[in-house]
Amino acid sequence: MSLHWESFVMTLIAFGILYFLLNKYAFGPLFSVMEKRRELIQNQLSEASATREQAIAFVEEQKQALQQARKEAHEIIEQSKQTSYKQAAEILEQAKEQAVRLKDEAVRDIESEKNKAVQELRSELGSMSVKIASKLLEKEVSTDQAQEQLVNQYLKEVGGRQ
Amino acid sequence: MHEAPIIQLGGLNIDLSIVLMLIVSCIVVFIIARLAVRNLSVENPGKMQNFLEWLVEFVRGLSNSTMDWKKGKPFISLALTLIMFIFVSNMLGLPFGVVTGYHDASKAEIFGKPIVSVTETLEKLHQQHPDQEAEVEVAWWKSPTADANASMALAIMVFLLSHALGIFKNTKAYFKHYVHPYPFFLPINLIETFSKPLTHGMRLFGNIFAGEVLIAVILKLTSLGPAGGVFSVLGLIVWQGFSIFVGTIQAFVFTMLTLLYISQTYAVGHDHD
Repeated sequence: MSLHWESFVMTLIAFGILYFLLNKYAFGPLFSVMEKRRELIQNQLSEASATREQAIAFVEEQKQALQQARKEAHEIIEQSKQTSYKQAAEILEQAKEQAVRLKDEAVRDIESEKNKAVQELRSELGSMSVKIASKLLEKEVSTDQAQEQLVNQYLKEVGGRQ
Repeated sequence: MHEAPIIQLGGLNIDLSIVLMLIVSCIVVFIIARLAVRNLSVENPGKMQNFLEWLVEFVRGLSNSTMDWKKGKPFISLALTLIMFIFVSNMLGLPFGVVTGYHDASKAEIFGKPIVSVTETLEKLHQQHPDQEAEVEVAWWKSPTADANASMALAIMVFLLSHALGIFKNTKAYFKHYVHPYPFFLPINLIETFSKPLTHGMRLFGNIFAGEVLIAVILKLTSLGPAGGVFSVLGLIVWQGFSIFVGTIQAFVFTMLTLLYISQTYAVGHDHD
């Protein structure tokens, strides 16, 4: 084994060429690919965290919406309950009113019918009694004046007894 | 021991085995890397891409353990190239070796050029033992990192790089480091500084070279008959496995130290300014 500067220099040259070639044709592309992958992973990580945040926000929103909907439903039910109570009361009131009115009307009708009947009866009774009296007194009463006086007296008596 | 096949070309002593193995190592590393990035995908990486990405992450971890990520980033490619190149280099010498033996100086030639190291050694052997027939074995296939020149070249490259970075990008802290904690420590700091590349390169070279030497020694056991053959096979199984482990560890250690040295000169002291 001896030292030769030629071997020394040749090794340097060979190594230099190898370094240059590897750098250009192997490591350069490899490094860029590794860098790209690093970026890709970084992007995916940030994307994933963004998506997670979004999801959390969504869930929160949904929760609130659900809460809102529940509240609204409750309100609607409450409202409808109240309206139904009110309506029921109204209907009841109306029914009562109507009943009272009907009763009043009936009472009035009865009254008027009764009055009418009494009137009729009275006139009927008047004429009938006149006829009876005239038949009975045809001969007894001679003057018209005396007749009329008598009739009125009777009529008064009938009306006063009423 | 095995000689290196050295030929003279235009006044330069070219070690053909180093040339061959450097080229093979580079091609293997490049093919592995290209296979890994053949079908690059962001979302669905293949097995090879996963492997290379794992390696990148591993080297990144090493860098982060020694210096700030922003400072270490430019050196990831360098560290990756180092760890892949050294690992492949360490592994190349393990599965087999190509050795040629020469008895005659006139036959020891390739591409029409004499293999200088063989002819010289043969001549020397002839002078020492004129009556014996000399034999020189040349190893063609070995780990490039089992050659001190290659290992030291990588180590000194790292040394120069780290100190250049220190001088130009981190000047104040870099020079302050030499007289830290007192000016009295300057010689010690200097020794430390210059021993670093030496241990850096020699550690790698020593481990891999020793591994290959031991493989060669174990192979020699086959000449001791059947018992030697059995022992040789068993020993090879154990030692090859261990060499794979050592080769991996050394690639890791070399890369780790590279990043550490760069951080010591380039990244240290910035935080305290």
